[in-house]
Amino acid sequence: MATRAGTRHRFVTAALAAPAALWMLVFLVLPFVAMLVFAFGRRAPEGGYLPGFTFEQFLNLPARAAAFGNTLMLAPAGALLCLLVAYPVAYYLAVKAAPRHRLVLVSLIVVPFWTSLLVRTYAWMYILGSRGLPNLLSTIGLPDLRMLNTPGAVLVGIVYGYLPLMIMPIYVSLEKLDRRLLDASADLGARPVSTFLGITLPLSLPGVMTGVALVTILLLGEYLIPQLLGGGKVFFIGNALVDLFLQSRNWPFGSAIAVTLVLVVVVVLTVAMRIAWRFAGTRRVDLV
Amino acid sequence: MTAAAVNDIEFRSVSKRYGEVLAVSGIDVAVPKGAFVALLGPSGCGKTTCLRMIGGFEQPSEGTVLIDGQPMNGVPPYRRPVNMVFQHYALFPHLDVEANVSYGLRQRRPRIERREVAKRTAQALELVRLGGFAKRRVHEMSGGQQQRVALARAIVNRPAVLLLDEPLAALDRKLRTAMQIELQSLQRELGITFLLVTHDQEEALSMSDYVCVMNAGQIVQMAPPQEVYDRPRTLFVADFVGKTNRLSGTVEAGGTTLRLGDGRALPVVAQTPGAVTAVLRPEAIRLDRGECSERMDALGGTVTHRIFLGNAVEYAVAIDGLGEMLVTADRSAARDPAEPGERVNLSFKPESLLVFPA
Amino acid sequence: MSKLPEKPISAEALTAQFMRLKRGSVSRRHFLGVTGLGLATAVLGRTGSFSLEAHAQDLGSQMSLATWPNYHDPASFEAFTAKTGVAVEVNVFGSNEEMLAKLQAGGTGWDLFVPTNYTISTYAKLKLIDPLDLSKLPNYSAKTETARFTQEGVIDGQTYAVPKNWGTTGMAINTDKLKTPVTSWKDFFELAQTEADGRAMVHDYQLTTIGSALVSLGYKFNSVDPAELAKAEELLVKVKPHLFAINSDYQPAMRATDAWMTMCWTNDGAQLNRDMPEIAFVLGKDGGEIWSDFYAIPSSAANKAAGYALLDFLMTPENAVKEHIANGAPTTDSRVLALLPTEVTSNKIVYPDEAALTPLEFGAAVTLTDPARAEVMARFKAA
Repeated sequence: MATRAGTRHRFVTAALAAPAALWMLVFLVLPFVAMLVFAFGRRAPEGGYLPGFTFEQFLNLPARAAAFGNTLMLAPAGALLCLLVAYPVAYYLAVKAAPRHRLVLVSLIVVPFWTSLLVRTYAWMYILGSRGLPNLLSTIGLPDLRMLNTPGAVLVGIVYGYLPLMIMPIYVSLEKLDRRLLDASADLGARPVSTFLGITLPLSLPGVMTGVALVTILLLGEYLIPQLLGGGKVFFIGNALVDLFLQSRNWPFGSAIAVTLVLVVVVVLTVAMRIAWRFAGTRRVDLV
Repeated sequence: MTAAAVNDIEFRSVSKRYGEVLAVSGIDVAVPKGAFVALLGPSGCGKTTCLRMIGGFEQPSEGTVLIDGQPMNGVPPYRRPVNMVFQHYALFPHLDVEANVSYGLRQRRPRIERREVAKRTAQALELVRLGGFAKRRVHEMSGGQQQRVALARAIVNRPAVLLLDEPLAALDRKLRTAMQIELQSLQRELGITFLLVTHDQEEALSMSDYVCVMNAGQIVQMAPPQEVYDRPRTLFVADFVGKTNRLSGTVEAGGTTLRLGDGRALPVVAQTPGAVTAVLRPEAIRLDRGECSERMDALGGTVTHRIFLGNAVEYAVAIDGLGEMLVTADRSAARDPAEPGERVNLSFKPESLLVFPA
Repeated sequence: MSKLPEKPISAEALTAQFMRLKRGSVSRRHFLGVTGLGLATAVLGRTGSFSLEAHAQDLGSQMSLATWPNYHDPASFEAFTAKTGVAVEVNVFGSNEEMLAKLQAGGTGWDLFVPTNYTISTYAKLKLIDPLDLSKLPNYSAKTETARFTQEGVIDGQTYAVPKNWGTTGMAINTDKLKTPVTSWKDFFELAQTEADGRAMVHDYQLTTIGSALVSLGYKFNSVDPAELAKAEELLVKVKPHLFAINSDYQPAMRATDAWMTMCWTNDGAQLNRDMPEIAFVLGKDGGEIWSDFYAIPSSAANKAAGYALLDFLMTPENAVKEHIANGAPTTDSRVLALLPTEVTSNKIVYPDEAALTPLEFGAAVTLTDPARAEVMARFKAA
């Protein structure tokens, strides 16, 4: 009887997991395997892929060192900048805002997501272009500034585009925070800044880490924002990949870069999370 | 700080309003130094609001709270010489026991030397008998242990006043009794003022030097526990601090006779004549087995229920023409207890009858 | 299109811009570079009547065209739909390389597309296009076409593609902003690092960007010589920090005066100059590209009948002339030339003097397939 129940339980578990597993197999594992196979092949004369086994593509990787460097710098930098902007917003929403306003305010954060990022980024082209902000600033006597197609513009776009993804996890972890802990900290003589650094911040770290990891991972594959707001000059690995597949038609090299990017992402995130947890303290943070 | 201050805490016409709701209404009260005071009242009576005003988490809408003679208007919590033991403890989940307890010391400016912090922390943990638990995580500890961590975390700062917000509410009965004793001896040992908020009258009566009974935002009575119990100032206090039997009637001219609705006359200690509600504690009633007498001041009836309480026996007695009354009898006095259905006679001393104007 | 007002763009204007962008009627390679996967598509001209011709059933109700943005008169498609009942889905692309990449990957669903002269031999070699059945194109007239612009559509005597229009790749200069005259690619790359610092654009397109850099160094536009390519790469990487953008969609930036100077195709040059006379279109004295774009039918086309029908429709001079007036590119067909108004035919941007065309070169097939040129471009962008 017990074994039959156990078998059924296992069957149910397997049935529930099957769609996800199938999905992962078809859309994650198989493409990755295909990419891996391509990465060791050669480019056909007119472009595309010729079967083969060569490390040529991986030996060519240094030709994209700058793009890798940019990506590995700008993705975490963008995520950190996002964090700096997002944290006060999330803090306000979760801690300071009146509960009856909260739903409206949170909706306001989410609503822009209903519009395509492409359109919203396109709007930034107009805002940062000569007729936008620089024009406005020149009317108050500032010299002619060029904002569009600069690294700054890319960062603005990134922060704007990814802000909600950073705000939400931080908001959730701050909202769960027991307010009595803040009272307790104040009661024990901690000034507001000490309470924030000693209690609020460490207890919201799970949300912070989720947000930073999420935004960093997505940024490592970012393509649209640097293309539109960086003028094709501030170059992410994502742009390099598009070039290789859609212009140079060099599938093997593109695959080699993609495989490398995946490996770099895994390594960087693992290391970063380790460091972050150590930084957060040796003790595990248990909420819930 | 003025050493001359006699009172650790003083409320001067303190009111607290939340919008339309008056949570605390014009309270004047003083807590003498070194006393163990229980703030007792039903939920929503304003007792926690009072505590939070002392802690600095709420500001009075009117009036002044003084701590050690100093007015505290506008002083933030972190500058007040008081510490609180929070309901459900509010321990920091990301810190271990030691870090929780030393938290307050580490906030001091100028900084306290690390070794000194460690020493005082260890002392505090010793004091609450948690010597070996310094490196434990708080969620690994039982409710009683967490309670003691919360205590240690507060007293390590040597506050002038320790505020305790329903500190024992989350503990089971046995542990609660043990902690009551522990708290009491801790207070003696430290010699600092304890102000404890509770809705449990037994807790308030058993631990404190003074019980301060609150109702609807006002202090109804502040007195030693025995006095509150034996001589409640109002019907509310009488009801709240113990079990009661209520009798409605009129005190006749002369003030020594209480005439009940059914014509029965009971002797009372001199009272102002008029309509009254009289209260009789169950343990002040004497129960005798046997057929009742015909005297007008006699309360004859039939036992309807008998509840065994361990150390005592409680009877519900249906008084002829008057309704049900509770009677508590010592077990020693009830070796041979009355059975349900049995006829009994109830009697009491006139001074046991507490009389309040209706 | 009127000159845009000198003020920040309004919400309505942005929306309008975006909608036009979605229809593929404005802004060249840009969006499309951005979307990459041909996202910016839309079905045009569903408003047609239902009084269809006899063969309508054979054509189906829908077809797909791959072309360049800003390259057609939307009214042409509306008229075609009204005539045949076939709705035209327009996919717009950023470069010939991108079109080739799509066709190589397969599954495009295109029934007609617009490749540039130098790519046709490669498409034919890879069997991505078949010879056209000219009997299905009664309105195409080989004898009125200019041989110079049609020859690359014919391989071994078989016609694989018929010309849409020709054009040049020159420079668009905002003369209000830049006072130094620009007459050559050498001037262009010098000015990009000095007076036009931060305001110059080059194409996101290996043929023209590398080609023009080679020309400025005195080499051939189509060179695949490793040493010469290395020099060109060196120049491009040196200029890169001074560029406003590497983007084939330069019209918006030029119109907004974010950019003051750009590599520019004839048709865009004509459009810019028409709306903003201060933007001049200049051909390099030292060389540059002359090109013609063709129509071809992919061998993988699902609805070839509709592809032929639209192609024949666009080859009809009365229809073609509207296309030319709209997109500003010069015609290859003398029948169409005769119908064009004089203000178009006398426009020196559209129809330059023959002498100005002499130093220009047609793109060579080898540049499309040469891995070194592709990699030089990709490295320049990734530098």
